[in-house]
Amino acid sequence: MQDIPSSTLLVLVPLLPLVGAILTVALGRTLGSRAHVPAIVGIAASAAVAVTLLFGMVRQVAVGNSAAQQGQQVQPVEMVTTLWEWADIPNAQAAGGTTAASFLIPVALRLDPLTATLLVIITCVGLLVAIYSIGYMHGDPGYPRFFALFSMFVFSMTMLVAASNFLLVYVFWEAVGACSYLLIGFWFTKPEAAKAAKKAFLVNRVGDFGLAVATFLLWMTYGTLNFHDTVLSDGTAVPGILGVTRLADASGYVGGAVGSAICLLLLLAACGKSAQLPLHVWLPDAMEGPTPASALIHAATMVTAGIYLIARSGPLFVACPGALTLVSIVGATTALIAALIGTVQNDLKRVLAYSTISQLGYMFASLGTGTLLGFSAAIFHLVTHAFFKALLFLGAGSVMHSMGGVIDMRRFGGLRRVMPVTAVTFLVGSLALAGVAPFAGFFSKDEILASLHSRGWPDTHGEHQEAVPAGGHAMTAGSFRLVSVTPDASRLAGGDRGSRLDALNQPATWRLLFWMSLVTAGLTAFYTFRAVFMTFTGPTRVPEQAGHHAHGAAGSAAHESPPVMTIPLVILAVASAVSGWWLFSTHGLATFLAATPSFTAPSIASTATPPVFHWDLAIQGTLAAAAGIVVAALGHLGKRSDGPQMERFLGPLETLFANRFYFDQIYAGLIVKPLEFVATLAALIDRYLIDGTVDLVARLPLALGGLVRHLQSGLVQRYALAGVIGMLLIVLALVARAMG
Amino acid sequence: MIASVLPVISPGTLLAAAVTSTAASLWLLLPRGQTGAAERRSRWLGGLLGLAALGCFIATGHRLGGLGEETVFLIVSLVAVISGAATVVTRSPVYSAIWFAMALAGVAGVLLVLGAQFLGVATIVVYAGAILVMFLFVLMLAAPAGLAPYDRVSNEPLLSAVAGAVLLGILSLSIGRLTAEPPLCCRVPSKAVAITGDAAPAAGLPAVAAMSVDLLAENHVARLGGELFGRHLIAVEVAGVLLLVALVGSIAIVSRGASADGTVAPARRAVP
Amino acid sequence: MTPAPLVLDGLVVGAILFALGLVGILARRNLIVMFLCAELMLQGISVSLVSWSRHHGDWGGHVLVIFVLAVAACEAAVALVFVLQAFARTGRLDSAAWQSLRESNLPRTIDHELPAIDTMPLRFPKLAPAGVEPPVDQDALLEREHV
Repeated sequence: MQDIPSSTLLVLVPLLPLVGAILTVALGRTLGSRAHVPAIVGIAASAAVAVTLLFGMVRQVAVGNSAAQQGQQVQPVEMVTTLWEWADIPNAQAAGGTTAASFLIPVALRLDPLTATLLVIITCVGLLVAIYSIGYMHGDPGYPRFFALFSMFVFSMTMLVAASNFLLVYVFWEAVGACSYLLIGFWFTKPEAAKAAKKAFLVNRVGDFGLAVATFLLWMTYGTLNFHDTVLSDGTAVPGILGVTRLADASGYVGGAVGSAICLLLLLAACGKSAQLPLHVWLPDAMEGPTPASALIHAATMVTAGIYLIARSGPLFVACPGALTLVSIVGATTALIAALIGTVQNDLKRVLAYSTISQLGYMFASLGTGTLLGFSAAIFHLVTHAFFKALLFLGAGSVMHSMGGVIDMRRFGGLRRVMPVTAVTFLVGSLALAGVAPFAGFFSKDEILASLHSRGWPDTHGEHQEAVPAGGHAMTAGSFRLVSVTPDASRLAGGDRGSRLDALNQPATWRLLFWMSLVTAGLTAFYTFRAVFMTFTGPTRVPEQAGHHAHGAAGSAAHESPPVMTIPLVILAVASAVSGWWLFSTHGLATFLAATPSFTAPSIASTATPPVFHWDLAIQGTLAAAAGIVVAALGHLGKRSDGPQMERFLGPLETLFANRFYFDQIYAGLIVKPLEFVATLAALIDRYLIDGTVDLVARLPLALGGLVRHLQSGLVQRYALAGVIGMLLIVLALVARAMG
Repeated sequence: MIASVLPVISPGTLLAAAVTSTAASLWLLLPRGQTGAAERRSRWLGGLLGLAALGCFIATGHRLGGLGEETVFLIVSLVAVISGAATVVTRSPVYSAIWFAMALAGVAGVLLVLGAQFLGVATIVVYAGAILVMFLFVLMLAAPAGLAPYDRVSNEPLLSAVAGAVLLGILSLSIGRLTAEPPLCCRVPSKAVAITGDAAPAAGLPAVAAMSVDLLAENHVARLGGELFGRHLIAVEVAGVLLLVALVGSIAIVSRGASADGTVAPARRAVP
Repeated sequence: MTPAPLVLDGLVVGAILFALGLVGILARRNLIVMFLCAELMLQGISVSLVSWSRHHGDWGGHVLVIFVLAVAACEAAVALVFVLQAFARTGRLDSAAWQSLRESNLPRTIDHELPAIDTMPLRFPKLAPAGVEPPVDQDALLEREHV
């Protein structure tokens, strides 16, 4: 392995799943029930390469950090491989049209701690889910298609996190969206699935629009789209948007109106992909797709693309504190609302879907703090969440598989006796999700709460305030100061009061957000254990649809899933149990991520805090989780899940939650119906006005032709006569001319 | 002679009358589906008009006075033209073919008078002897009994007759203009004038007439044969090949229509 | 210099024959008659060519007429074969039987109904049947006896 350069390995990570996808497409029909082989081999090899790269990167960071001990500055670690130039337009107008810049778009892959971490998560979780799918998708007529799409998704997602260019990011942002669309609509003959796929696609378009406009604005503002520093063919160096040169420059980032606009558009894009308010409506419906696809795409990886985008663009956001605060507000609000909706859902997969939205909201809230702690906590939670949410989804899939496709929790119960492995692993995942020590979610959620707490009560975390470099200036009232827009940059953007959003950046806001998050933690524990108790405790009941699996004893139709499905569950359960403690106790992840170029910007790196375990926050979080579990146990432990539920005590609020805060209805009334009206109007205009005009144009020659068509009698002698008459006319004309 | 008798009538008027009466006569004579007395009446009228038209053409300026050669020419050309007209207007195709034989005889006479003895005889032999017999053979093979409906009507008789007459008028007009100009053989080629830029006839150019031969001299056929197989040998060979190709092609097309056992495929009678 | 004698008259005769043939080609419906008329046009051409030949005093017109004869023979052979094929298909020698080239939505051109021909009963001469001995006319025998 030492002989192969890292750049080759980096290319292999997306390439192997792509080859797997192409082979599956080409040979799918031939392979039949073995169609999973190319995809799984490709993803497995890709995972092995990704792990190798991660270890190499860890070693490199360690070397860099030990060297940085003297300089007290974390050195950015990145490696960029340019495959080929996609576009190279010299002298394109950029930067407000004042200077000529070269529009250079290389197909460049990058490797840095953030990318390496995500590559490992994507490929490893992808591998486990793919193995699980062998059992879950067994016998489906679209078996090869599923693995082709799955492999294609892994390719697109790895490319998305490895791309070193906003345009490439956009391309693969769309590619993962397309794979998601195709997998949600996998059972396209089912009307709900087709509808859900369409909804996901359309809602994502809103976010994609944001990313597209953000890309345009970035090009106009910075004159490049590359993350890394590039050298043009004529020797001039162009500092990349997230390149080392610009990061080191204190005035490298534009704030004000333009900067805020860029950040808000990026936030819109992230909201679309990561299902945050107000674009969260597609994710619950996306559960119509196959459960493994939900586990990988709509829980573990694709929906975290928004987190990745914001984390990657961290320096841009930090220059616009208002936008950054909005990220947190959106995140915390989403987390709370999704958790509230989740408390009354009876569809097991939908509970998990709302839980996903809620946890993604957590990550957003953490990102919005703009501190190194916040960023690393978000990524930390992303990693642990990928493990335990994939586990929970796969467990739900296992239940669904065994129950013959039934997923309504009121129709089964007491399954711990029927499916012991699934029950235990699901419980582990639930503990992790609920944030019970020492499972993974506890540590990552604790860090998120800590990052929010540090913004709400900066005095208690005051140890990093002295690290604010002299170049920055205090932005807002209150005791907390954030390194922010430098005067130069804000003047470039057209005035330093460009963004009224900055007024949001108050400690009071952060305190509110912290309490919201804490409440959400309790709600999370409640709905998670509500699901656990409804599904696995109480009297054993199985729906009649489970009958088709009756190849065991006649009495017990339902059964535990095959090993090919349970083994990935066990592996993920182990990861969910230990990854949080391991990553937190060694501080490996935080230290590792700190070397990501985006996080070495002075504005972020200066907020570094020593790794501390916040006992007070841990106790608050644990209390919230315990409260949630206790309430859930009071309501559901050991009871029939189809009986009257304790949620009825919520009164009218239950109706509100069950109808998901009427988001779909509001959108239908505000957006869909007016659009339908306009479309109907346009269709009418098209049909009668435009088509009528076109038809008129077509009918005119037809009518004129009708006048002379009777000459075309088909009688050759008439044609000959006409020819002779024509000849005579010509001759007569000539004679008349000759005569004078 | 006639033109001098009728000095008051201008040649243009005569030509117009000739053209008009030709058209009217042909239209009257052509089958138009009429029967009985109407048909007989139009035939008479058309015949008289046709004779009048002929008279007009004779009178349009050519002296046909004197006896001898010119009288013979007049007679044979009248035979050719009247028979040709009858060929065109006769209802029955068989009669039409026989009138065509008569016209051929007239044409052969015209050719003889014009000094083409060989061609006159060849026309009789080739056309009357071979081609016409072939036509009649096909007619016997194919024509149904009695007068077919399509033999009793014409395609646009009026327009066709007018078109033919107008063509005839234009041709007569242009032929009549030849008398006003020196014959081609005595004119200096206009190209030479154009090249030299000299309006006067170039003295150095030999007159075309000097190269002309007297076609009516002795050994006419021998000299024609010499010309044909001398200067035009390759063309003669090509014509021979063409005849062969036509022979082979005809046989090929006919045998395609016949089935394997040699019988002609039964006709697919179309509903009229 | 005036043209050679009879040249102009020959040209006029040729033109008349040509025009008559043209009218026949355009007007007559019988395919065989149409070809007869085409031959008539060729005859007109031949007369004109010979007239010009006399006018110019060379053999060109004569030679051309000979080729016209050859080509006319070829044309007649091939054309008659086509006529026969056409007859085999439609059972008619009617040029109007072929109308496939017309506009697709135009009706077929059909001749208007013709009045019946007032046919006269055909009278054929009566011939003695061949192959059998004719009946003996006794009266004639008697006559002969008397002679």
